[in-house]
Amino acid sequence: MSLRETTLAVIAKVSKADAAAIRPDMDLVADLGFDSAKALELLVELEDALGIEVSDEQAARLNSVGDILAIVETLEPPTQPPRG
Amino acid sequence: MTADTASLPTSLREALRRAALDFPHRGIAIFDSRGRSCERQSYAELYRLATESAARFAGLGIGRDEPVLVALPTSWEWMEAWFGLLMRGAWPVASSGAGAMAAAEAQFDKVDKVMAAIGARHVVASESFRAQAGEQGFGFAHEGVITIERLRGALPARTGSAAGVSDAGDVAFLQLTSGSTGLPRAVMITHQGAIHNPVASDEAIGAPLGEPMHRLAECMVSWLPLYHDMGLIGCLMLPMLCGLDSWLLRPEAFLARPRLWLEQLGSHGTSFAPAPNFGYQLCLERIPADKREGLDLGAWRAAFTGAEMVRPETTSAFCAAFEPHGFRPESLRPCYGLAEGTLAVTFDVKGSGVRTLPAPAGTDAGFAMTDVVSNGVPIRDTSLRMTAPDGSVLPDGAIGEVCIKGPGVFRGYYRDPEATAATLKNGWFSTGDLGFLAAGELYLTGRTKDLLIVHGHNIMPDDIERLADSVTGGGGLMRSAAFSVARGAAGEQAVVVVETAEADPARFAEIGREIRIRIGRTMGLPLADLVFVRRGRIPRTTSGKMQRGELRQRYLDGTLERLHDAPMHEPTGHGAAKEPNR
Repeated sequence: MSLRETTLAVIAKVSKADAAAIRPDMDLVADLGFDSAKALELLVELEDALGIEVSDEQAARLNSVGDILAIVETLEPPTQPPRG
Repeated sequence: MTADTASLPTSLREALRRAALDFPHRGIAIFDSRGRSCERQSYAELYRLATESAARFAGLGIGRDEPVLVALPTSWEWMEAWFGLLMRGAWPVASSGAGAMAAAEAQFDKVDKVMAAIGARHVVASESFRAQAGEQGFGFAHEGVITIERLRGALPARTGSAAGVSDAGDVAFLQLTSGSTGLPRAVMITHQGAIHNPVASDEAIGAPLGEPMHRLAECMVSWLPLYHDMGLIGCLMLPMLCGLDSWLLRPEAFLARPRLWLEQLGSHGTSFAPAPNFGYQLCLERIPADKREGLDLGAWRAAFTGAEMVRPETTSAFCAAFEPHGFRPESLRPCYGLAEGTLAVTFDVKGSGVRTLPAPAGTDAGFAMTDVVSNGVPIRDTSLRMTAPDGSVLPDGAIGEVCIKGPGVFRGYYRDPEATAATLKNGWFSTGDLGFLAAGELYLTGRTKDLLIVHGHNIMPDDIERLADSVTGGGGLMRSAAFSVARGAAGEQAVVVVETAEADPARFAEIGREIRIRIGRTMGLPLADLVFVRRGRIPRTTSGKMQRGELRQRYLDGTLERLHDAPMHEPTGHGAAKEPNR
């Protein structure tokens, strides 16, 4: 799976939405019903699936599916893979 | 007070000094933001740190009885700031850090408004908080922010008598809680309340086990935010006063990996911990059967559930799920409390599991409860009574407003004599919660106040409505009203009703989405439902005051006429949010 596909699959799993229905312009809260607990669940699932680490500052700016797709592409996996 | 409390410290400053001397091996362990590693320090070290930082706060010109905000995450920097201010004789005011998804700008705005309302000159915050607030043009960012670096670089001044004697009835700190004007209210907590309440709680917690909890337990494990009364009083003051270890996770670490909390509860000897219903529900949902392996909850002797309505469906499912992993169902114990009572008001002291009665007529339909939960009996020296709207005291079994009196009751809302006078009379505080007494135990059935409690956090409808109105044009074309309805184990969720003259259904989707985005980004709050109605359909009194309770009743009855097919623009992924219970 490509990075994009994996990311969309994780978003679909956490939001319990159909992966095919997820579009980049979707807002996490307005369109996918996220609250802060769901947002944090999504972050750790993405970090585990992709071997990346998202900083608190970066996380605070993630509002839409497109924001997430953009940020995972800029992040290199850390030298030390995250636990869990 | 009984003889037992005669030897209690008379101030929190004295309490910290005693903890340092009497419990040299006990202390506080704080995990990093991801809950991976932790840094532990003894109470002796905390005392040293706080004394030093008190002198530096004095050097920065912070005076006695001066409110200073602390907007830091759960960390040793938080301890250095909060306890430093306490030792200085100033009033620390713990304020929320930026929540995930809640815009930083909304947090700066809140800090700015709180500082103005309580006359605070300073907020202790991180360098990135200062820099960002400065970029966004907030005035307090210039001289008002004390970063930890600035604090540590300050020349210490002699604090003189600052760390000395204070009257037990003096204000120790301010606790922020939601207020109706769109601004948090600052609850004045006294030294007496902040000492008596945890000590009385310790007794009540240990009651079914035969002795005060501190004789049985090693530690408290908490993920609750320190700006919340349950986190600050229950999980920091109580262990410090009773000589127990405190293991503190950040809320974000728990929300990201709820299992961390349960792992820690089983790792440091006999433990106890509180959480709102939502915390137990999150463990159930996010730690499915195949992820429970290796958990050992045998050491968790008291699991408190409070700060929001206790849902019997959650507690029984939690017991069933975790009993095979050592959890004792009898250790799950409901409690009731609120910031204006310092924290605890009642505890279940029977310790025979969650006990319920069938919900009586008059139970709020919006809470969707078939059974109501016993929250137990008042803690020591504390009285409880139910009153009718005319103020008369009701007999057992009758539903009325819960009123409390005792050493934990707050001194008043700081700089808000009107709100104080409206709720605090002759030592009795009218809580705004509705319930009844049966065999001396408190059962909650609803609320008189228009308040939403989502995941243990109190939210005033005005805050939601202001954001919705900012999209719709407020007093112009549209006007909104917000309330909550409970959806089974998911607990309370927010619903917004918008009055509109708009006739084009295509516009509803557009405006609705904008409202959801605005509320989501500012408050981190998803809406379970958003309803458009004709103008004039939100009921009002003759004087024009919105009647949210009546509106909510119509919504629940299904008699509210929607201008669109229900539900409007349901978020794809919000499984729990479906049709209201009818």
